[in-house]
Amino acid sequence: MSALTYKKNDDIESGSLDKMTVFQDCMSGFNASPIMPKKCRLLLSKLAHLLSSGETFPADEATALFFSVTKLFQHKDPSLRQMVYVVIKELAPIANDVIMVTSSIMKDVQGSNELIYKPNAIRALCRIIDGSIVQGIERLMKTAIVDKNPSISSAALVSSYQLLPIAKDTVRRWANETQECVVAQKSFPPGALLGNYHIGVSTLSQYHALGLLYQIRAHDRMALMKMVQQLSGPSTSLKSSNAIIMLIRFISRIISDDQNLRAPLYVLLENWLRHKSDMVNLEAAKIILNIKGISEEEATPAVNVLQQFLSSPRTVYRFAAIRAFSKFAMVQPVLISHCNIEIENLLSDTNRSIATYAITTLLQTGNETSVDRLLTQINGFMNDISDDFKIIIIEAVRSLALKFPTKHVAMLKFLADCLRDEGGIKVKTTIVESIFDMIKYVPDSKDEALGHLCEFIEDCEFTDITVRVLHMLGVEGPATSEPTMYIRYIYNRVVLENAVIRASAVSALAKFALTDDKEVRDSVVVLLRRCLEDVTDEVRDRAAVYLKVIGLDKQVAESYINPGKDYSLPVLEQELAQYVSGDREQFSTPFDMSTIPQITEEQAKANDFKIKSKANHEPEAAKADIAKEQMERALKEELTQQTYASTLASIAQFTDYGKILNSSKIVQLSESETEFVVSAVKHLFKDHLVIQYDINNTLKDTILEDVSVISIPDNEDIVEEFIIPIDTLSVESAGTVYVSFVRPTGEYPVTGFENNLKFTLKEIDPSSGEPEEDGFEDEYQIESLSLSASDYMIPTYAGSFVHQWDELRFDETFSIRIDAADLQEACTYLIETLNMMPLESSDVPVSTSQNTLKLFGKTVDGVKTVVQIRMIYSASNGVAIKIHTRAQEEAASALVIETFTN
Amino acid sequence: MATISIYSWFQSVYNYLLSLFWSTELDVTLLGLQNAGKTSLLKVFIGEEFSPDSIPTVGFAMKRVKHGHVTLKCWDLGGQPRFRSMWERYCRGVNCVVFVLDSADASTFETAKTELNALLSKEALVGIPLLVLGNKNDLPASIGTEEIINILQLEQYKDRDISVLSISVKEGKGLPGVLSWLISRKNSNK
Ligand SMILES: Nc1nc2c(ncn2[C@@H]2O[C@H](COP(=O)(O)OP(=O)(O)OP(=O)(O)O)[C@@H](O)[C@H]2O)c(=O)[nH]1
Ligand SMILES: [Mg+2]
Repeated sequence: MSALTYKKNDDIESGSLDKMTVFQDCMSGFNASPIMPKKCRLLLSKLAHLLSSGETFPADEATALFFSVTKLFQHKDPSLRQMVYVVIKELAPIANDVIMVTSSIMKDVQGSNELIYKPNAIRALCRIIDGSIVQGIERLMKTAIVDKNPSISSAALVSSYQLLPIAKDTVRRWANETQECVVAQKSFPPGALLGNYHIGVSTLSQYHALGLLYQIRAHDRMALMKMVQQLSGPSTSLKSSNAIIMLIRFISRIISDDQNLRAPLYVLLENWLRHKSDMVNLEAAKIILNIKGISEEEATPAVNVLQQFLSSPRTVYRFAAIRAFSKFAMVQPVLISHCNIEIENLLSDTNRSIATYAITTLLQTGNETSVDRLLTQINGFMNDISDDFKIIIIEAVRSLALKFPTKHVAMLKFLADCLRDEGGIKVKTTIVESIFDMIKYVPDSKDEALGHLCEFIEDCEFTDITVRVLHMLGVEGPATSEPTMYIRYIYNRVVLENAVIRASAVSALAKFALTDDKEVRDSVVVLLRRCLEDVTDEVRDRAAVYLKVIGLDKQVAESYINPGKDYSLPVLEQELAQYVSGDREQFSTPFDMSTIPQITEEQAKANDFKIKSKANHEPEAAKADIAKEQMERALKEELTQQTYASTLASIAQFTDYGKILNSSKIVQLSESETEFVVSAVKHLFKDHLVIQYDINNTLKDTILEDVSVISIPDNEDIVEEFIIPIDTLSVESAGTVYVSFVRPTGEYPVTGFENNLKFTLKEIDPSSGEPEEDGFEDEYQIESLSLSASDYMIPTYAGSFVHQWDELRFDETFSIRIDAADLQEACTYLIETLNMMPLESSDVPVSTSQNTLKLFGKTVDGVKTVVQIRMIYSASNGVAIKIHTRAQEEAASALVIETFTN
Repeated sequence: MATISIYSWFQSVYNYLLSLFWSTELDVTLLGLQNAGKTSLLKVFIGEEFSPDSIPTVGFAMKRVKHGHVTLKCWDLGGQPRFRSMWERYCRGVNCVVFVLDSADASTFETAKTELNALLSKEALVGIPLLVLGNKNDLPASIGTEEIINILQLEQYKDRDISVLSISVKEGKGLPGVLSWLISRKNSNK
């Protein structure tokens, strides 16, 4: 290679090609006569390089280029033609009138050069064609699909795939040819030479054919199942491992769409665990472990296969196996714990990605005692891995910190060490958020965690993170034993940092002024005064506002600086959006902030924790969905609560009842397609219970008058006061009956209610359209209703279960057998029945035989209640539970027990 | 049988021409409305048999007619309306342009006139010799060269190099004349 040509290649690689020069060289080179094939091929390569590295040409230039490229069809040189096709494919989307090369390409497709012309021509053809002429190439494509030369067949199959968006119906007609290809074995024509390799039999076209066949059949579940059965039978001629892997993925999709097909399909997957190809084994195992709600028995064979791969000499196999495990560990940690020895060996794997997954897996499967050792081990290689993997590990430690709060010292030390090491903004954000979580949910770690954060912002290069830390210091700092220390750290930022940070430091400082300690307050005031001299408006303004507010009455000051609750942001956003979209007139009345519900810090914390600990148990992909779904549900709940409150407040009889303490979910009291559809909502007030019965008259020819509900409690402590009936319920309309009861203050009677709908029925006279004069009274029985712990309790988060347990009294215990298929189902049932918050991840059993569920909640009156439920599962006896509860007041303990005895 | 005799006739013409010219390439663009017989003409040129069922050309196709040292690079363009706007691109810098007319289908004459005149008014065509072929003269309805000149209004281009021939691709009539006309334009443009 001469120095000159070397330089040219160098140019291409370094991407330093000039677009205009290439354009002009191409235009003159391709239009020259005679054509110089070598030179033109080089020009085409340059053009292809430009296009593939993101350069693009305006339509007119692209079209000019395209047409000059078509001139090259006059030369037969195969290597030139090969590049011509590459460039045609690249230019097809940006040039106009590309349809012009159709006939030229068709000539190559029909020609006899099988190695280069034909397959390349087919691929290009499908890029330039439009829907109107696809039919014109139908015969040609069908022939190519069944061609016995695999490269032609593959080209046609892959190209048909490309045609789907523009000619779905036409391509569907090629199903028979495609089907034939899936099971065919093809070989290259004798003597065909690709590079230095002689290629004999190839099964790759099976893979391409299967992909297309799936697209053709995807809409038809029956056809798909038939296809799967045909191809997975013992006598299948599906030889390509790639094709089998694809089939396995299709099966996974079918299973997740339709759980009914799971059992027969599982059998197939299980068979592939013993296939002779390793690739197939791995894929089958991975997919089995990915099935939602997979049982221990079903998962075990897959776990065993992956276990063997863990000690494979081939890196990719070890990687694939441990990656599948690290995912599965979040779902069923117990099942892989017996592979711990193999997994531990991987900690020293020279491939750091494997070691990372090994660590995250062990963190999931390990118990409290192994945590320290693991953390030391991770420290050993934290510096060798990329940021992405660092994040994976930090996330794992973060969820572990919530799971084993007693291990907070080691976890915090680990996080603090990471914080000191190198890392980009994403890594640092993840670490800081993990520390925030610990501050919030592991109170014992608070002081030390705050200390680490202080140290961190002394030398933090990321403004965003510093601002968040300052906010956190402002929120948590004042309540610590040594607030002045934090004040010093915060004020240092005012001296040393940029305006954004200075402004947020001012806000954080102000929060310390709320203390009763006069000395602290005075020094905050002094510091804030100094900020009045700042060069930036925002900093000065904030300081001025806070100084003014601090001077006010303490309670007023608090409501500004640290209100303790926040507006529900989703509702606020929605209402604001609605307000701004209104017309001129709308703006004459100011936006009414009082309609936005407020959330106390405690509620926010509980919601947050729920989302967090839930997300950790779901596979990666589902996490985001779950968080979003929960957000949406929370928003919806908030909105209904809000409507209840405003409706009830507008009814005169209820005005002196006070605030609604809790509203239940909607309970259906009749079948949905009966004459009268009735549902109920229970609202608890301090001294009252109001049941709201929503009644829908579905009859077309009958109206109801004087509609009421006779609701009889079976507990004497609940006493009916009055009924607000519906005067008239006309045809096909809905109304609401309210029944009010007295509830004994501070007590939580558990009761059922017998319900009867009572009304006067009047038929509509078809001639006049008016109801008849006389009606007759009737009663209509609807289902009964119950009032129990789920109505009185509000799930609440607590940092330390043990702490609450030790503090509370009024011990009660009770044993019972419940109807559940396994421990997981039992946990779900108990949490729902008691409506309390599971702590320490105790709602995810780590063993299949026993578990201890730890719950915390407050009654509607704010009485703290803890429940500890031991459960044992055996196949013969089902789930036996022992409930042990303690509370601030006797009535609350009694409530828990009565919920199960009543 | 007929094609074989035409073929051998070509052979003798080429051999004759070879003695006059040395190695040379000619760029020829064939255009005209759809169904005029352009693709059929080229097929016969390269020695294939005339067949009555020919597929319409989508875009263009390049055919190379090569014998000894003379090569005709023929750009066979599609005649359907959607392709006509692209004709001009393939006329730039060629040695000659051939416009084929179905001289037996009167319903196409009006459009053919409009398209041809539009093309001739383009700058790219200036100085390029034009050969108009009235094809399908085997059919009784076909018209002669005089009438073609009239219908296509060719008198207005007195100072351009335009010839009109009447041929039948099907029966091989007039084809040798076409070939010698093309080769005689060898030095006209480049
Ligand atoms: N009778 C007769 N028919 C002819 C003759 N030449 C061509 N044809 C027929 O005319 C029809 C069209 O021929 P093509 O060569 O495909 O026409 P074209 O000009 O290439 O058409 P496009 O590619 O659509 O522009 C075919 O059915 C031919 O058999 C001829 O000399 N006599
Ligand atoms: Mg044609």
